[in-house]
Amino acid sequence: MRKEPKRMLLERRLPNRLEHVNAFIKEALDQFGKLSLPPSDIFHLKLVLEEALTNAMRHGNRLNPDLFVDVSVELEGERLVMKVKDEGGGFDFSKIPDPTHQDNKEKPNGRGVFLIKQLMSEVEFFDGGSGIRMIKILGRAQGKGT
Amino acid sequence: MSLQVKIEEREPGVYVVAPTGEVNTDTYLELENKVNGILPKAKAVIFELKDMTYISSMGLSVLFRVKQKLAGQQGKFLWVHPQLQVQKVFDVMKVLSDAMVASLEEADEYLDSFLDGVQKGKIDPRTPHEEGT
Repeated sequence: MRKEPKRMLLERRLPNRLEHVNAFIKEALDQFGKLSLPPSDIFHLKLVLEEALTNAMRHGNRLNPDLFVDVSVELEGERLVMKVKDEGGGFDFSKIPDPTHQDNKEKPNGRGVFLIKQLMSEVEFFDGGSGIRMIKILGRAQGKGT
Repeated sequence: MSLQVKIEEREPGVYVVAPTGEVNTDTYLELENKVNGILPKAKAVIFELKDMTYISSMGLSVLFRVKQKLAGQQGKFLWVHPQLQVQKVFDVMKVLSDAMVASLEEADEYLDSFLDGVQKGKIDPRTPHEEGT
């Protein structure tokens, strides 16, 4: 199987303050704009980046301003790979409640991760849940999130 | 992108909240604070979403909290005219579909019936009412 060439579009170490989230997203949007993506893909990528970064800062790093969040956006052929990694202790991602379940609809927990899973082609956690890898397959039918 | 929030009292106690721009991590508190200013005297709040270009889970949580507060004071929460991608966020989360109406005119008719029912004790506003309207 031929290995797709990788191209790093963005790589940053963000101070753990929420005001850095949208500043980074603006940078990412500049990069997405160069990829000729449909508006719906750009909307989804922007949304999942915000959800992943705010989760990392709020829940992972518990809003500790001394910590950092590492984020990268990389293109591997037609796969856009975004990684977000905090410096917290991780979490048990198998126990995230389903926010669409009737019992959970009024609760805020789990909405961000649920949105990410629904809007991206592939999602996986690493380092015990302190990192999330989100992949969007560009430019062809994807099933969910298109 | 910044957020602007216009609030109009359509009739006594019935407010139309019209956000323009993005409801995200930076702006959700601005929306929440403005809406909280009218909630104590609100019988109903209609979110006019035609100019809201983006919403994240932080924004969704604001709408949930508004809905819950209104329900707790026998009020009603409705929303109209979401943009396509915003509608998709609501659809994916399977939330608030019971609060969507097609137009402000439909909202008026719905609220006339709802508020009349509450006044006469026929409707308990804390329970789901006419799912899908």
